[in-house]
Amino acid sequence: MHRTVLSRTSPRALALAAGLVTQLYVGGAHAVAPAREALVNTKCASCHTAKGDGRWDRISESRRTPEGWDMTVARMGFAHGVKMTHDERSAIVKYLSDAYGLSPDESAAHRYIVDRTPSVVEHPENKLIGDTCARCHSYGRIAVQRRTEADWRKLVHFHVGQFPAIEIQAGGRDRNWFDIAVGDASVELGKVYGFESDSWNKWKAQKPADASGNWRLVGHKPGAGAYEGTATVTRTGNDAYSVSMTVRYENGTSEQLTGSALVYTGHEWRATLKSGEREINQVMTLADGGRALSGRWFESGYDAIGGVLRAVRADGAQPAVLSVQPAALKAGTRSRLVINGVGLDGDVSLGSGVKVLSVAERSLDRVVVEVESAKDAVSGPREVKVGDARSGEALKVYQRIDYVKITPDHPMARVGGNGGSMNKVPAQLEALAYTVGPDGKQGTADDLLLGAMPAAWSFDNLNKVAAEMKDARFAGRIDQNGLFMTNDAGPNPQRKYRTNNAGELKVTAAVKDGTRTVKATAPLIVTVQRFNDPPIR
Amino acid sequence: MNRLKPLNRKAHQIEAAPNEEAVEKVVAMTAAVAGCSTTFDPGWELDPFLGVAGLCQPMEADLYGCSDPCWWPAQVPDTLHNYPDWNTGKDDAARDWNTLQSVFPK
Repeated sequence: MHRTVLSRTSPRALALAAGLVTQLYVGGAHAVAPAREALVNTKCASCHTAKGDGRWDRISESRRTPEGWDMTVARMGFAHGVKMTHDERSAIVKYLSDAYGLSPDESAAHRYIVDRTPSVVEHPENKLIGDTCARCHSYGRIAVQRRTEADWRKLVHFHVGQFPAIEIQAGGRDRNWFDIAVGDASVELGKVYGFESDSWNKWKAQKPADASGNWRLVGHKPGAGAYEGTATVTRTGNDAYSVSMTVRYENGTSEQLTGSALVYTGHEWRATLKSGEREINQVMTLADGGRALSGRWFESGYDAIGGVLRAVRADGAQPAVLSVQPAALKAGTRSRLVINGVGLDGDVSLGSGVKVLSVAERSLDRVVVEVESAKDAVSGPREVKVGDARSGEALKVYQRIDYVKITPDHPMARVGGNGGSMNKVPAQLEALAYTVGPDGKQGTADDLLLGAMPAAWSFDNLNKVAAEMKDARFAGRIDQNGLFMTNDAGPNPQRKYRTNNAGELKVTAAVKDGTRTVKATAPLIVTVQRFNDPPIR
Repeated sequence: MNRLKPLNRKAHQIEAAPNEEAVEKVVAMTAAVAGCSTTFDPGWELDPFLGVAGLCQPMEADLYGCSDPCWWPAQVPDTLHNYPDWNTGKDDAARDWNTLQSVFPK
């Protein structure tokens, strides 16, 4: 109910990407398209009348993400008794995602809900839609669907039929929810998130991209820092690939991941990779005609543990600098800088005030240089060039860290474990360092984000009530990589009211800048598990 | 208060309150309607103040009584139509909570 609460007190709503979740099943869905269409006829058409030409009643009046289709198809199983094997379910989801998916543009603004970015604070773009739907759901869940106005209206009727208490539940009972939902809200949904779109028509007309080949990748994992690596992608079937990936973190660790990927809708890359016992899920987008891949990944069962990744083709790509490690350089210091990219052939230039002392290592995809920044170097971004390869503003030079912010802004963790079915949901925090920019004022447009910095982490009770309840004692612990892990789920006999190990905490990050220490705080809410945990919440 | 005689427990508490601040506290508590009403809103993740102090404590104490008809439609399984057997045989949530499953089928 937090979304109800938040929409009353502020225009924000938290979209929580956390918890034990289901991944799209990547293997076993490699049947050819006509077989998949036949499967839709077999499994769906006894209720959803076939209209011919790949169209069925209801089904072909809406479009959505692979996860969205998976939730719908799964519901046909548990609520309507459709019998499907795992492979059949996957094949139907693949077919429907290809035939009735979203173009890259259509989901771009709400990727967080698909890739399960943790603790995102939403700002619903449309008030009426937000008030009607996002008191219970995330706004993103609605925004990654497209339906005809008539189908949006049928979705309202479905809600009343399937969830008969909906009109008297909190979030609905303070107004005439049904009339609003079938009336103005359905009209608005049909306009804002309507079925027909030029973007989708153009996307469907494109030739499918082939992702096979060698890739160069860079990324960032909160808690572990920057990483870089390579991947080999081999085609194993229609839109299906095997993936082998090497990742090297800036903290010196590395890992080898192997697994398989399936591309839905021509761009929705979903891969499941193994690294030893760990299983990683990638939710990414294939772009630029199959020459670029980007998105988020997370560990199975632990959405909050993951990172972002960006990859380009290593074979025949335009020279480019993809990242620099470290990405920020303090004025008046010497450092070893790793430049990652493709086609890195030529002289290294790091912009004003940064001198290359020596080249320690070099190859076409990685150059390691010893550098010195001038004492009087002006704080600001620098373009990094290696021959024809350029970076945009990959390197930041700074005189001092002016302030630090903890991210996510409103972190939330959940109790779990203790014999229950839900994992603990940790919160992975980062301390982002900034300079105030030329205007000398904090929080203005010229502030410069330097990046995540190592910090000393601690926490205390957030307020008087939390102190009375001794929340800090019971809620969990934090390590020095900013990972807050909760305590066990269930009533705790040691606590007042036998309450859960929930709590309201204030977390502090202390970042060293030379002899100075710059601190930041953020509220950290530890709350209870959820028992309904679909991939899109 | 000289001519009034407290008849119920809340009235006794007001009479026994040592100071004005304590009286206000008693009045405030009587104004919060317990049960399935709009004025009392135990959130699931967050309470109206974006914290957890106003949630049901422990959550398990109110799980069955408050989920289907009143609150938490997105976080707790709907046992009317979709998952009628979710809590079958798990009558005491405070004791049986760890046998309750996450419902989305893998």
